[in-house]
Amino acid sequence: MLMDFMKAKDLLKKYDIKVVDSIYVNSAEEAIRFSDGDAIVLKLISEKAIHKSKAGLVKLNLKHEDEIKSAYEELKKRGTRLSPYKILAQRMVNEGIEIIVGGKEDNEFGKVIMIGMGGIYVEAYKDVSMRLVPINSADAIDMINEIKAKDIITFNGEAEPILVNLLMKFSKLLNEHKEIKEMDINPIKINKDSYNAIDLRFII
Amino acid sequence: MKTNKINLDAMLKPKSVAIIGASREPNKVGHVILQNYLNAGYSGKLYAINKNATSNILGVRTYQSILKIKEAIDLAVIAVPAQAVPSVLEECGKAKVKSAIVITSGFAEIGNVELQDKIVEIANKYNIAVLGPNCLGVVEPRSRIDTLFLPTYKLSHYKVGNVSFISQSGAIGSTILDIISDEGFGLSKFISYGNAAVLDEVDLLHYLMNDQETRVVVAYLEGIKRGKEFVKVAKEIGMKKPVIVIKAGRTSAGSEAAHSHTASIAGNYEVEESIFKQSGFIVAHDISELLDYAKIFDTSPEPKGNKVFIVTNGGGAGVLTTDAIASTKNLSMAQLSKNTQEKLREVMPDIVNIRNPLDVGGDADYKRYDDALQILAKENSIDIYIIIVLFQTPGADSKVVESIIKFKEQVDKPVIGITIGSEFTQAHKKMMESAGIPVYESPKAAAMSISALVWYYNYKKERMNLIKS
Repeated sequence: MLMDFMKAKDLLKKYDIKVVDSIYVNSAEEAIRFSDGDAIVLKLISEKAIHKSKAGLVKLNLKHEDEIKSAYEELKKRGTRLSPYKILAQRMVNEGIEIIVGGKEDNEFGKVIMIGMGGIYVEAYKDVSMRLVPINSADAIDMINEIKAKDIITFNGEAEPILVNLLMKFSKLLNEHKEIKEMDINPIKINKDSYNAIDLRFII
Repeated sequence: MKTNKINLDAMLKPKSVAIIGASREPNKVGHVILQNYLNAGYSGKLYAINKNATSNILGVRTYQSILKIKEAIDLAVIAVPAQAVPSVLEECGKAKVKSAIVITSGFAEIGNVELQDKIVEIANKYNIAVLGPNCLGVVEPRSRIDTLFLPTYKLSHYKVGNVSFISQSGAIGSTILDIISDEGFGLSKFISYGNAAVLDEVDLLHYLMNDQETRVVVAYLEGIKRGKEFVKVAKEIGMKKPVIVIKAGRTSAGSEAAHSHTASIAGNYEVEESIFKQSGFIVAHDISELLDYAKIFDTSPEPKGNKVFIVTNGGGAGVLTTDAIASTKNLSMAQLSKNTQEKLREVMPDIVNIRNPLDVGGDADYKRYDDALQILAKENSIDIYIIIVLFQTPGADSKVVESIIKFKEQVDKPVIGITIGSEFTQAHKKMMESAGIPVYESPKAAAMSISALVWYYNYKKERMNLIKS
């Protein structure tokens, strides 16, 4: 079962992991109010859709009222086949490199944590590394070093402390929450000195 | 087995051995095993068991049943038909035999799970450490134990040393056993554990972790039975000694029921490989890599850093090796100090460029190598030496090998050789390897092995630092 986005957001908050400003909206008007002139993203969330962007369920960079309105209406239309669903509004995050932090329960060995190139590249490049949780900081550094695109996701090393820190927090989260069977935090947008978790997917 | 505190000394260093199913027929497994035991020169007490016993087989006193032997038996090697194994093992239990190797096949590997379960039941009832079934058994050169049913003339003879092998597959195991005779390291324990009905990889790793005669462990794994216990022993042994692992079944697909990217990417092999790395294991992807890694770990001291210096008598080979070093993630080329550069300039002829790689010239003889190496031995910025000798050149001969061996004994740093060539080269390669210098026939193999060496000791160091802080 997919964990509700807001519950997932609260869970991350408990572990001091930043999530981009997000709310559920029930109308285009609510989305416009949330935007308040800033660029936002609208997403349709449904248990039936893993590949949201591929399925056209993510509308990026919506600024004007009419853009928001037409995006909202389109998502509603697509939603009829994916019911039950919710529509999520988030602040648009332009800057940053997309990474994934994942997790899964392995029947034989226990809980695994994964990091890699995120966004739409995850399954195309499979440039990821994993470890069993809990990990220590040396494991986290090894995981980052194993990524082929290491220099990209760490900004030539500058963002490595952020990534190590994130991995340690997620390791703790995964280790303490036995009910989590699978986790995709994808993407997390990384900058030299900050990050934002954008999409949260926990299977419980 | 249920307990990890298992001592396999009774199996690997037995004072008395009974071979059950010993046979007069030269083509029977039970005959070859007995013959091999005799060939290996086992000096403990040896008994043959054959239910139609005559007084002796191959000169070994033969009994109808193990229960007829009055003395205590450390190890029973069982090579009777599958259906007879449970009753034979039961007798071993009654005779208080400490350990048993079931060579016989025809159990879980062909779907005969029930028969295998009987073995487990009897082993637990009498507390017998049982290896197999469906295995080759063990080789322990120090105690001259060889339970393999492979005719000795088909296998080159291994040397005694400090590398231990465990292999689930008998065939892969015997192949490795055959080819290591050509490599620069010797054998400590060879354990083929087959179906792992009782003793499995967790037990074996646990034993080898504490075995003083094992410096390097090499493991060929097919399935891992007790995941959580495996992880525990893996992390423990990884901090104690290098483990080189090859795992069959790389192509296993990710979980089909995946609801996330992570679950679809993180298939069985990917997770296992991650656990190996997390435990400091060196993952090999084929048998030649396995042996390349084994010999560098067996012979090399801990490198103090990752800076490599190359000495060569062939420019091209030097460049190829430099490229191979550059394509590893964790190695870099050493920079010589001004002082060393000046000293080298004084002794090297004008045709030699003083740089890394140092090409001492196609006309280099032992003296040239010696001059360069004696200066380089004192250079602090070098952590690892690669010495390339192309023996096709006029000056390269066994005196060059002597210079290199002398150098190796002087420096407390890894010294790795690269030679490429046929008979003449091979003879010199063997000389270097018998002096404890791992020699490779390709720059890539050398670079990957050095990279693994540096990676492992760095792994250990980082974790030691965490424990201290």
